[in-house]
Amino acid sequence: MTTMTMAAALNAALADSLAADEDVLLIGEDIGTLGGVFRITDGLKDRFGASRVIDSPLAESGIVGTSVGMAYAGRRPVCEIQFDGFVFPAFDQIVAQVARLHYRTGGRVRMPLTIRIPFGGGIGAVEHHSESPEAYFAHTPGLRVVTVADPQDAYSTMRAAIACDDPVILLEPKRRYWGKGEVDTEVTTDLDSARVLRPGRDATLVAYGPLVVTALEAAVAAEDDGIDLEVIDLRSLAPLDRGAVAGSVRRTGRLIVAHEAPGTVSLSSEVVAGVVEDCFEHLEAAPERVTGYDVPYPPAALEEHHLPGIDRILDAVDRTLGRRSSREAA
Amino acid sequence: MSDFLLPDLGEGLTEATIVAWHVAVGDEVTRNQAIAEVETAKALVELPSPRAGRITALHAAEGETLDVGAPLIGFADAEADATTVDAPAEEPRLQRQQVLVGYGPVLPGSGRPRRRPRTFPTTPYERPAHAGEDGPTPRAMPPVRRRARDLGVDLRTVHGSGPGGRILRADVEARAQGGTCCAGTGTPGADAPDGSGRGSHTVPVTGLRKQTAQAMTDSAFTAPHASVHVTIDVTDTLELLRHGGRDRDRTSFLAAACRALVPAVGRTPAANARFDAEARQIEVFDEVRLGIAVATARGLLVATLPAEAAATGPALTAAIAGTAEKAREGSLSPAELTGSTLTVTNVGVFGVHGGTPILNPGQSTILAIGALRTQPWAHRGEVALRTVVTLTLSFDHRVLDGAEASAFLMDVAETLAEPASLLVR
Amino acid sequence: MSTTMSAGSTRSPRDRRHSPQGAPAPDHDLAGAVDQPLRVLDEDGRRRPDARLDAHLRDVDEALLAGVLRDMTVIRALDDEAVALQRQGELGLWPPLRGQEAAQIGLARALPETDFLFTSYRENGLAWCRGVRPEEMLSVWRGTTLSGWDPFAHRMATPQVIIGAQTLHAVGHAMATSTRGEDGLSVACFGDGAMSQGDVGEAMVFAASFRAPVLFFCQNNHYAISEPVGLQTTVPLAHRPAGFGIPSLRVDGNDVLAVLAATRLAAERIRSGAGPMFLEAVTYRVGPHTTSDDPTRYRDEAELETWRRRDPLLRLERHLELLGAPVEQLREQAQQEGREAAEALHAAVSEILAPAPESLFEHVLTEEHQGLRRQREQLAALEASLAPAGSAS
Repeated sequence: MTTMTMAAALNAALADSLAADEDVLLIGEDIGTLGGVFRITDGLKDRFGASRVIDSPLAESGIVGTSVGMAYAGRRPVCEIQFDGFVFPAFDQIVAQVARLHYRTGGRVRMPLTIRIPFGGGIGAVEHHSESPEAYFAHTPGLRVVTVADPQDAYSTMRAAIACDDPVILLEPKRRYWGKGEVDTEVTTDLDSARVLRPGRDATLVAYGPLVVTALEAAVAAEDDGIDLEVIDLRSLAPLDRGAVAGSVRRTGRLIVAHEAPGTVSLSSEVVAGVVEDCFEHLEAAPERVTGYDVPYPPAALEEHHLPGIDRILDAVDRTLGRRSSREAA
Repeated sequence: MSDFLLPDLGEGLTEATIVAWHVAVGDEVTRNQAIAEVETAKALVELPSPRAGRITALHAAEGETLDVGAPLIGFADAEADATTVDAPAEEPRLQRQQVLVGYGPVLPGSGRPRRRPRTFPTTPYERPAHAGEDGPTPRAMPPVRRRARDLGVDLRTVHGSGPGGRILRADVEARAQGGTCCAGTGTPGADAPDGSGRGSHTVPVTGLRKQTAQAMTDSAFTAPHASVHVTIDVTDTLELLRHGGRDRDRTSFLAAACRALVPAVGRTPAANARFDAEARQIEVFDEVRLGIAVATARGLLVATLPAEAAATGPALTAAIAGTAEKAREGSLSPAELTGSTLTVTNVGVFGVHGGTPILNPGQSTILAIGALRTQPWAHRGEVALRTVVTLTLSFDHRVLDGAEASAFLMDVAETLAEPASLLVR
Repeated sequence: MSTTMSAGSTRSPRDRRHSPQGAPAPDHDLAGAVDQPLRVLDEDGRRRPDARLDAHLRDVDEALLAGVLRDMTVIRALDDEAVALQRQGELGLWPPLRGQEAAQIGLARALPETDFLFTSYRENGLAWCRGVRPEEMLSVWRGTTLSGWDPFAHRMATPQVIIGAQTLHAVGHAMATSTRGEDGLSVACFGDGAMSQGDVGEAMVFAASFRAPVLFFCQNNHYAISEPVGLQTTVPLAHRPAGFGIPSLRVDGNDVLAVLAATRLAAERIRSGAGPMFLEAVTYRVGPHTTSDDPTRYRDEAELETWRRRDPLLRLERHLELLGAPVEQLREQAQQEGREAAEALHAAVSEILAPAPESLFEHVLTEEHQGLRRQREQLAALEASLAPAGSAS
């Protein structure tokens, strides 16, 4: 058990995966000599060599497309897309090829790719460095889409994603890269299940990725009002662990979902639809969604208004409890 | 003195380590002069002075790690030499990321998370008393929840008669009011649905009423019903009941009638049985578990009396009253709604002399007790005014024939009219 | 700090130039390249003849030279000031252009202001030449806006963050203006890394097929963050356009006169209706990719020293000296202007106002739709319901 940042935990998971399986290789821009713009791959090229930690030309479609070919040749590529906003040149290879090859070939061709993408905002960055594109991928059958929330989860989930024979989009919350936590490298995890991080009685707060920390903070702040929140980290966005969410909402009767991505046609739309289908008779109040607005990611000076924070989340919680919120007239 | 805070030097960094100071306290520096070298997770960075001035404080030692937003270096203010102390913070200092002026969410670990106070008054959340029990919330559709809220009914106290225990609107209304389902509902004066031109209003059949209707239909069209009846003089029995037992606890007439059933079953076991159509056999129950029909606002239901209640007259009287109350409240448990082997229905409360009840499905007999009434009667060879009651027994003709049913009824009647006769039968 | 994250562990200088497996490391030195980059000023400042370029330098006199010296000096001063501002927490990020002054000034001063520029995020020298004001230049990096100026006011598109996307935009602009018989050419500015992006290849296909009046101006500054140009290509970048049917020139990007001449040559040809043209300006990114980068992790002092000797400002000063011009005076004048410009930049920071929260919702579409109005109202209601931060709870 060691205390480390999430960045260090991801680095350790990559190193351990490279050491454990000769077929694993990394490919991405600036990952080798530099060690990655966030240092996630720091030291790995020195340790495992340039043919297993590949600095790629500046071409995202090329990174993913060549990885498809490497998978045909029996390798297990781990692609890095440098920032969320840069994934779109690769979107065609991901959606038209990576997601479909297993289905297309009746299971003969496997795509055990892991595509790592730092995502989310809250770092004061310029355009295209704070995106949350998870819905595009969760909407694509044939892909697993997974997020992580803390260093331990990052280590174990990365190991599981690389070992998984399905293509995995692994979304890393970049604003949490420097947060620290305890990591036990013996701990293993699956890729499917949500986890209840904080049990509670009054309402179910569902979050993932960068907002898990925010959700837990909201739960602490809610105690001041006598409200006891249950916090669930979804972890897997595709497939969604509907059972975990439904089990919780059947008990609390109330659902709030929070994420950075714009709310329309988003993961929260899906979670709410699932809860309505699974728990309709148990709902004591309409589900609430606390999300980014339906705008392109705004300039950094405005991002704290755009991103869900403690106050906006608890305002929604108040509505589910029938307490006065910002939306009622005096 | 004014402090320069450690900025976020690389898009979301949270801390930096002072590697070397290039200035000392007291030094005069120019704007952009290199004052320190710091190391972040990404790079070694030289920091230029944000302004010209005199250094009054270095807030960290070489080798020390500072959080972004923490004071790094102090400058003398332009006006005075004397340092003015910063107003002491009243709360733990919130550390803000100084990426841009005015920007910065609170970093984790910099004080207990709190929500901002609201501009309207707030009170702590009062959790309903029953909430938080492990187990699911009551099941109800949103319009029913709304109705319950409007009527001030707590759903957790309502028994749900819908599928899977779902609470229906009728359940809520019955809990709240106790009116019959047909009073004042629907649209008066509307045309009858059959287009016959007769004015009517419609009442939806839901919930208990729907269940009862279904059960009645099943029973009536499955078991061949026949009935026998007898009217008996119970004047003396009533006198006996009025005086009460040794300890003066009253036994009701209904309880007495129920107790009269038990020895009769002993002589006609088929009265405490059911016809098993699938196996094409008669299943005779080992024990008598009495079911009592109760009329509630939601409709008719049969409540099973606890087995031990039949032990004494007063106990049974209390049990009948208690069960009936629970039935009307809608708080009978599932165990109390099933498991009876033969049923008694007290139609007398409605004033009628008798009736031909329909069997409770899964049983072979049902006894209807009419109203106690005073009538001229043959008593000791003369005409006298006596209190009489009519007992009607409906039975499943597949299980009992007329002779058996009659014998059963006569046993009950005789016990009820002349309790002492039990000793010699 | 976790030791695996320590920058210090990989700081020791080593030759880590990448090479594709087995092939010799591509030589970054200008001499010996297959296509020797064209130049008229060598490192010592001596003027060398080049028939093609000389034809476009007949107007060069001391005034012109003093002018471009001033230009390069000022944009360097602005660039240094912006880096300092980032280190002082006034900007979130800045991409320095140090070392590339001649490439940008040579291009800018060769073209009329009517030619439309589609650039990357590093062309702040071009922006200054086009009259972009200090606060306009900084505001994107301060995070108060996504676009610092009106593209039509300066005929310069918002600098593009997505690598290479602007090349397609330049081609489309050229296609549209030329079919309407409008004068002017469109310019796409991008780097060596961008040449690997699919968009750039497609841009060249379209440009060639439609004979679009577009100038592809590639500043090969030898690095795409940490990746040396040898990873993007095994032959000079200027060879690639020929495969698309686009003529190209390779020019010494640190020779301001060579860039000026090459751009004039290319512009004349494009304006004649001959179709697109490609210029590769071979230069060097002396600073980091951005203020978040640490180049000590991937390149060594020896290489940096080589390129410092090729500094474009130094070269021009040496040339002026050889011409007998009053170099000290000219340098001092230029640096004074540079200081003033830097001061103005520093002062501009306080001119940059934080945007109002409601502006979050503006201009998503040309007209606000109902759903977004509702969200705007909900945010306003939320803000109204919260007491100012710092109030007693």
